This record gives sequence, structure tokens and C-alpha cells, in this order.
Amino acid sequence: MMGPAIEVQSLSLQLNRVVLLEPISAMFKPGRLHAISGPNGAGKSSFIKCLLGLMPHTGQVLRHWSGRPGQIAYVPQQSAFEASLPVTIEEFMLTSITRWPLFFKRRDAHLQRIDELLQRVGLASKRHLRLGQLSGGERQRLLFAQALERQSLLWCIDEPMTGLDQAGQLSMTAEIAQLRDQGATVFVVHHDMEWIQQYADELWIIEGGLAQHRMVSRKQSSLIAEACA
Amino acid sequence: MEMLRQLTYQLYASGYLPEMFQYGFLTNALVAACIMGPILGALGPLVVVKRLAFFSEAVGHGALTGVAIGILLGEPVTQPLVALFCFCTLFALLLHWIKSRTQVPYDALVGVFLSFAIALGAALLLYVAKRVNVHILENVLFGSILTVRDMDILVLLLIALISVSLLLYSGNRALLASLSPELARTRGISVRLYDYVFVLLIALVTVASVKVVGAILVGALLLIPATAARMISRNGREFFWFSVIFSTLSCLLGILLPMAGAMPIPSGAAIVMIASAFFILALGVRRWRKVQ
Repeated sequence: MMGPAIEVQSLSLQLNRVVLLEPISAMFKPGRLHAISGPNGAGKSSFIKCLLGLMPHTGQVLRHWSGRPGQIAYVPQQSAFEASLPVTIEEFMLTSITRWPLFFKRRDAHLQRIDELLQRVGLASKRHLRLGQLSGGERQRLLFAQALERQSLLWCIDEPMTGLDQAGQLSMTAEIAQLRDQGATVFVVHHDMEWIQQYADELWIIEGGLAQHRMVSRKQSSLIAEACA
Repeated sequence: MEMLRQLTYQLYASGYLPEMFQYGFLTNALVAACIMGPILGALGPLVVVKRLAFFSEAVGHGALTGVAIGILLGEPVTQPLVALFCFCTLFALLLHWIKSRTQVPYDALVGVFLSFAIALGAALLLYVAKRVNVHILENVLFGSILTVRDMDILVLLLIALISVSLLLYSGNRALLASLSPELARTRGISVRLYDYVFVLLIALVTVASVKVVGAILVGALLLIPATAARMISRNGREFFWFSVIFSTLSCLLGILLPMAGAMPIPSGAAIVMIASAFFILALGVRRWRKVQ
């Protein structure tokens, strides 16, 4: 199984009369890792949100699935949770995997599934911590764990390495590489050109804050990396 | 209800219950409290998580105007349910609709609506006060256990059933939509629909609880037990159940204690004072835990 190809037709974004993205048309090949890079404020996260349908935009985003349309896994950029809110990691995961109300006794099958997912991101021992007690890196891992639950072939990951220590970055990289190897279509917003060179199949640069966007092949990305260095 | 009232009277007559239970209205009020308390307590945590505390307060104050309009339109003075329901629902939906379409900070917007609701309610009530006994208006403002009728209990029961069904079916999704709207939307959850349903639910519960708690104070009962629970809970399950327990106990004790002490305190005021006592208790528990 392979993830969908994503076709973007004249996608543009304007918020409060400020143009965030000028019309973009592109075809994102299926089963590839597409890195999205560019300076801060260029509209990378907004572009991802448009792909997900989270922002009102003009133009079209078409998902060409090879079979039945699947689910989308999304890892947002650093979600802040209120520190004093008494909701634990386990409960956050429960809201993602079941409708069975979390204020009742939890079912073993759900707990086991949560355990598996948290083990993959190294958070199994912290399942009873409140969301507000997590560090930035731990929040990132948790958001990745909830996305893993979707078993999706289309992933949108927004700056996944933010706040992660070295071990965390390695583990996250391994997970993302595994997704790509499994045939998922993966979008990763990332700034690290070395990482992009090593793992991405395509590099898309959104720069100038507004409009300039261009696709760079993997070979060309090394030139950009040199230029950035 | 008649059977329950007779049973309570028989228990009083047999000496198992104190003297105050000889009155049928107390049984009515206690049954209403047993339905209303858990529902307000169950919705409270979501009100807190969604930061809708002032919203529920505003809807409660909107009930003032709803009551006045009902009386002006010729509804029964003690039971202007239709106008109350219509006005509170419209008020809540309009507030939320404007919120979703403007950049005005939510607290400021609720503040505007809250002030408007009080102003309009006060103007209309003063006009209405010329026509009806002012004590009836007091009951509407601050609640009275004397006015709870079988019909009110039936309405409460219906709203409780709707609330419980929605919480059981989509409580987790509502929580995810509150914690991370973006994640919820990528999971196909219509965050906007959930918001409107929740807002509508708050309006319904507010209207149904006005008889016992009063228009002025009903919002507080959505907020105080949940805030007290939040302070001493270690997880979401505790948060939910503590809120339900605090709210239910506040409603029951707020009705029973003034009766037992023969104190002329409106039920709404007594209920909210007891809820506040739970809040202070929770502050103490939290402090004690920190010291430990």
C-alpha cells in the first residue's frame, strides 16, 4: 500500500487581507517524503494546514488515493497545554482512540494500545503525568504518538524536532524514515538541510514570506545546503 | 412524583425523617437537586476546559430578560418557560456566532453581552414588577424550592437525559476538540458543531435550573464545583467525579440546611455558598498536599 498523491491547484491563502501564500500549483508524488523548508513566517505551517483543510483557502487540494481514502495523521507544531489542567497523557490518548468516556473504568484493550504507542515514543513510564507537566520535547513525542494511532499513509508533520534532545531526534527520525519506507506520503516542515538531504525525497522551499515557492530536486538540495551553510 | 411525595410523608409520619420532610415541595426540590446537581457538575469540567465560565454566567443573566419577556407576553408568572428557553438559547447562540465571526477577544465580547443582559433584564423586570408580586421576581432571581413543580422536574429529567447521552457518546471527542481543535478537525470532528451543541446544552441546563438556583446564580454552579474539583484532581476522571460530587452535595445541602435551620435564605444563594465552601476546602486540600 502506498500513500496518496497530493495535487494542489492554485492554492492561495489570505488572512485579514494579508496574502500569506500566493497561488501554488504542484503535484506531490505518492509514497515520498516531502520536506517543506523556508524562512520563519514564510507560510510553511499555513501551507500544511491548507493541505489538511484546517485553513480557509482558495484553490483545490486533491488527494489521489490508490484505494479507499484513508485517514490523515497530523503532528502539529508544539501544542501548548494548560499546566493546571488535570488531564493525563493516558487520557489525552484515550480521547484519540475511543469514544468510551474517560471518566468510566478504562478498558484493557485501550490501555494496552496506549501502552504500545507510548512505548514507541519513549513515554510509557510517564503516562500518568498531566499534559501541563510535559517538557516541549515530551509534548512533541506525545503528539507523534497520537498520530501513530491513526495508522495512516498520509502524514503532515510540522517541525517535529522542536524541543527534542539528541536521542529524541534520532528516535523521531527513525520513525519518520520508517513511515517513508512503508510507503506513506509524508510532509515534514523542517529547517535542517542536512537532515533533509539525508532523508527527504523532495524539497519544497517556501520563501519570501508571501509567494515564491519552488520545488528543488534532491540533488539540488545539496546545493541549497551549501548555500545555507 | 406523587408516590414519592407520599412515601416521604409516610417516612416522616413513621418518625424516620425529620419534620421538614412533611412538605411535598421539599421532596420536589430534592428530586430536582438530584437531577440538576450531577448534570451541572458533569458539564462544569468542559466549561472550565473550554474557558466558558463567563459565558455560562452571561447566559444565566440572560435568563432575567427571558423571564421578564415571558411575563410581558402573558406566560404564567411562576413558569415563563417558553420565553426563558427561547431567549436564553438565542442569546447563547448569538453570542457564540458573533465570537466565531469577529476578532474581538472572547472575554470582552462576553462582558458586553453580560452587561447588556443585566441592563435589559433590569429595565424589563422593573417594568414587570409593577404588575406582579415582587417576591415572585425574587424567586426567579435567586431561586426558591417552593416553586418547583412536577413539570419542572420533567423538563429537568429530559434535559438530563439529553446531556448524559451526549456526554456518553461524544464526551471524549468534545474534550479533544477543547484541548486541540486542530487535531480534532483532522480526525473529522466538527469542532464548530460541538461548540454550538455545547453552548445549546449550557443554555438548556441553565433554563432548567433557574427554578431552584435562580437566574443570577445558576452560572456559578457550572463553574465553582468544577473549579474546586480541578484544584484537587490528579487526572480527568477525578476532575469529572469530584465536580459531580461537589455540585450534587451543594444542591442537596443548599436546600436542606436552610430548611433545617429555619433560615430565610433563597435556595440559590445557599447552594452557591455551599459550593464556595467546597472551593475553600479544595484550596485547603491543595495547600496541605503541597506542604506534604
